Amino acid sequence: MTQDFEKRTQEVLEESAARLDGRTRSRLTRARHAALAQLEKPARTWWPSYVPAGAAAAVAVLAVVMWSGSNTGNPQLAPSGQEEDIELLADAEAADFVADGEDLEFYEWAAGEVES
Amino acid sequence: MTAFVTLAGVYSTPDISSDFGVERSRDQDLMTTSRALDQFLCSVEKRAFKIAQLGLRNDDDALDAVQDSMMKLVQSYAARSADEWRPLFYRILANRIRDMQRRRTVRGRIMAWLPARDSEDDEDFDPIAQAPSHDPGPAKRLELDEAIGVLETAVAGLPPRQQQAFLLRNLEGLDVNETASAMGCSEGSVKTHYFRALENLRAKLGEVF
Repeated sequence: MTQDFEKRTQEVLEESAARLDGRTRSRLTRARHAALAQLEKPARTWWPSYVPAGAAAAVAVLAVVMWSGSNTGNPQLAPSGQEEDIELLADAEAADFVADGEDLEFYEWAAGEVES
Repeated sequence: MTAFVTLAGVYSTPDISSDFGVERSRDQDLMTTSRALDQFLCSVEKRAFKIAQLGLRNDDDALDAVQDSMMKLVQSYAARSADEWRPLFYRILANRIRDMQRRRTVRGRIMAWLPARDSEDDEDFDPIAQAPSHDPGPAKRLELDEAIGVLETAVAGLPPRQQQAFLLRNLEGLDVNETASAMGCSEGSVKTHYFRALENLRAKLGEVF
C-alpha cells in the first residue's frame, strides 16, 4: 500500500520533471554551460580583494599606535603636528578630495587670502 | 671525453618535454572532469529544477537557485570524487532555496509598504517557452496533468524539511544516508521527515492516488 503510493507519486513527479517546457530546458542548459565554463577560467589570485582591507587595517593600526603614543604624556613621543597627521590619515574625505583634484586651485587661493 | 660527457650533462638544455607532458596531462584531467560534471549536471538538472520550483513556487527563482548551485558545485567541489557530487549538489541547492525563501520573506515585508506593480508588463514573449516537451496523447496527458497538479500542490504545501526529504528520496532517489548528507541532519531525522511527509500526502491525496 505504502510502496504503491510512493511509486505512484514518484512516477508522477518524474513525468512532471520530464515535461519541462522548452524555455526552462534551454535555460537549464545555459546554466550548465555557464557553470562548466568556470573550469576553464584561471584561478583567481587571493590578494587583490584583500589589498583595500589590508591598507585600511594598516592605517588604523598606525593611527592607534600614534594616538596611544601621544597620550602617554611624554612630549617626545607626541611631537607637534602628529595629531594632525593622524587626522589626515584617518580622514577618508580628505583623501578623496586630493584624489579628485577638483577645485584645488580655489582652495589654494582661499588659503592664500586667509593668510594675507 | 669523460670531462665532456660530465659537462654535457651539466650544461644540457632543460627537459621541456616533461613540462609539456605535465600541461597536457592537466588539460586531459580538466577535460575529463568537465565531461563528467556535464553528465552529472545534465542528469540532475530537471529534477533539481522541480525541487527548487516546488520549494520556491516561482520558475525564475527556481532556475536561479539551480544555476547558483551548479556554479557553486563546479567552483568548489569539481575536484571531489564524482560519488560525492550528488549529495553535495543537493546540499548546496537546499541551502540556496532556504536563503531565497528567507530573502523573499524579508522582501515581502518591505514590498508590503510599496504600491503594487504589474510584473507581467516587462515579460517578453518567448516562443520557445510554448514548445511542449513531448505528447503522450490527449487522454493520458489530461490524466497526468491532473495528477501532477494535485500532487505538486500537496507537496508544495508540506513543511520545508518534510518537502525536502520527500523530494530527495522520492524524486531524486537518494538513499537515507545521502539524503541526510544533503539535508545536513541525521539519518533518523530523514526517516522521520520522510514518514511524516508520506502521511501528510496520503491524507491529502488518498482519494486521488
